[in-house]
Amino acid sequence: MSIAAINPANYARRRIFSAFMDMLCVLAAMVGLVLLALILLTLVQKGLEGMGLNVFTHAMRNTPGQGGGLANAIVGSLIQTGIGALIGAPLGIAVGVYLAEVGRTGRFASVVRFVNDILLSAPSILIGLFVYEILVVPHAPFLHGGFSGMAGAVALALLAMPVVARTTEDIIKLVPDAFREGSVALGARESVTIIRVVIPAAFGGILTGILLAVARISGETAPLIFTSFGSYGWSSDLWHPMASLPIAIYRYAAGVYDEHHRLAWAGALIITVAVLMLNIVSRVSHYLISKR
Amino acid sequence: MKMSKIMPRRMAIGALAAIAALASAGAAFADEITGAGATFPQPVYTRWAEQYAGQGGDTLNYQGIGSGAGVTQIINRTVDFGASDAPVAPERLASQNLVQFPAVIGAVVVAVNIPGVDGNALKLTGPLVGDMYLGRLRMWNDARIRALNPGVNLPAVAIAPVYRADSSGTTNIFTTYLSAVNLPFNTTIGAGSSVSFRAGIGAPGNAGVAGAVRNTRGGIGYVEYAYATENNMQTPMLQNRSGQFVRPSVQAFAASAAQAPWATAPNMAASMINTAGAANWPIVSATYILLPKNPADAERSRKVMQFFDWAFRSGQGAVDALHYIPLPAAVQNQARQRWCQVRSGNAPVWNGCH
Repeated sequence: MSIAAINPANYARRRIFSAFMDMLCVLAAMVGLVLLALILLTLVQKGLEGMGLNVFTHAMRNTPGQGGGLANAIVGSLIQTGIGALIGAPLGIAVGVYLAEVGRTGRFASVVRFVNDILLSAPSILIGLFVYEILVVPHAPFLHGGFSGMAGAVALALLAMPVVARTTEDIIKLVPDAFREGSVALGARESVTIIRVVIPAAFGGILTGILLAVARISGETAPLIFTSFGSYGWSSDLWHPMASLPIAIYRYAAGVYDEHHRLAWAGALIITVAVLMLNIVSRVSHYLISKR
Repeated sequence: MKMSKIMPRRMAIGALAAIAALASAGAAFADEITGAGATFPQPVYTRWAEQYAGQGGDTLNYQGIGSGAGVTQIINRTVDFGASDAPVAPERLASQNLVQFPAVIGAVVVAVNIPGVDGNALKLTGPLVGDMYLGRLRMWNDARIRALNPGVNLPAVAIAPVYRADSSGTTNIFTTYLSAVNLPFNTTIGAGSSVSFRAGIGAPGNAGVAGAVRNTRGGIGYVEYAYATENNMQTPMLQNRSGQFVRPSVQAFAASAAQAPWATAPNMAASMINTAGAANWPIVSATYILLPKNPADAERSRKVMQFFDWAFRSGQGAVDALHYIPLPAAVQNQARQRWCQVRSGNAPVWNGCH
């Protein structure tokens, strides 16, 4: 069909329609961006109001006017998120490697993949309730139960695992088959091929997945309410209730004192900046590793 | 390739070391005892906890999650003690193996946010407040409110009742009062920790209600007095059983508390609601602590009792500063007697039982 066959009136109408739809798309993007900017602006403004050195150097105090901060909550969050990642990431990598390298399109792998996807989209509060029933409620005299930082870390691990599993599988699938063939041609066993060839080649992507999972779990509140419960003091004993930033925000935002409200904003700003940094670090490390 | 092979291992070891360092750094500061429940007494419990720890006592981690949730957690034995403003029924105490004792007395006040009106000078009655929560009284310039408040320029602003969204002992105290003074309220809504109000919006915790009232034009809510004073909220006068309009004050709370029938109340659940007396504030209540009779860890239960024993003896300052009312000395001793029901093996856990 030649260009001359296009009906000019039809063409003009299409162009107008196209411009109109373009405008709608831009408008939709603008609405999202403006809302995000407003949220960040409020967060930075209110967060800086409550910010101070004491936020990082002093534990929470129940009563205002005593220079209370959020240091115990920051440390608690680091501990629980760290242990959550230490448990969740290896499990997730193992699942991802199995799905991409061993199970592939097999029936069992399909079931695992399906279950992992369900876990990925499960409301985090359900994970919290699950861990509450398993670890917090005492089941026997020798299983004391009780709220504990460890229960919180396990809940976070269950949230991190499917994220890592998913990204690991996706990234390993991107490793060219030529790598595997070369390895096998040199006489390497499958396990050696996976551990010494495939995983190192996909390392940057796997690391990105882990960092994204950490970013995801570091802001979770719901699974911690039922597990590590929160605390106002220093509580780095893993078998006792433990403070964390999300719970500190949750309790202080609904607290009675204005000083606590300001600290809640400061805590929200800290989490946001931390997640932003994690995202930047994951991008940069991905870039550096893939460049090498 | 060579670099990337070593990196995961090195990073994992680094992360492990960092976590271990963090975990060991603060291990000496572990929480000793954990309690959860009512937000009504939370300001005074947490101030007690700070003073007690400051004097070398055990640390107490108290989380205000609402009375209903507090009862659930102690039944599940996930905390060392539960706290509830609504006394738990005797059958439930028995079936769940719990001991109940009062810790302190507080008052529920009505807090309002009416544009252009000094809420502290406003006069209200229980029947009127009940009608607001029934949805039968909708505007602040309603003739019935104006009749009580001649000279007050009440605006044509809608009444926005705020209630507790969680299962709440404060709700139980408030609805017990409204049921006593407002018959339609009693028959359609009734008293309870979690009831279906006919009008308004829900907010979590005492502080949540305070915040919602502060942020809502025409808002009215019910909170423990400490939450109203700490938030500089306006608290109208209420008409008491003797027909007098009284301002919320420690004196008015104490006058009601003095009439509590401690001697005859089963499980120490003495009612101080709608008592007769010209100076009495009509909505006053004790708040309760729940302990397991058969604690899995007797040492921690003993620490809870030691804490409340200290609070009974030395907690007066915090009680006064936050406008709560202390228990009479005789009632404190009655509470200590209750502790003797907490046993480990066959021996009482509390060392004052002989």
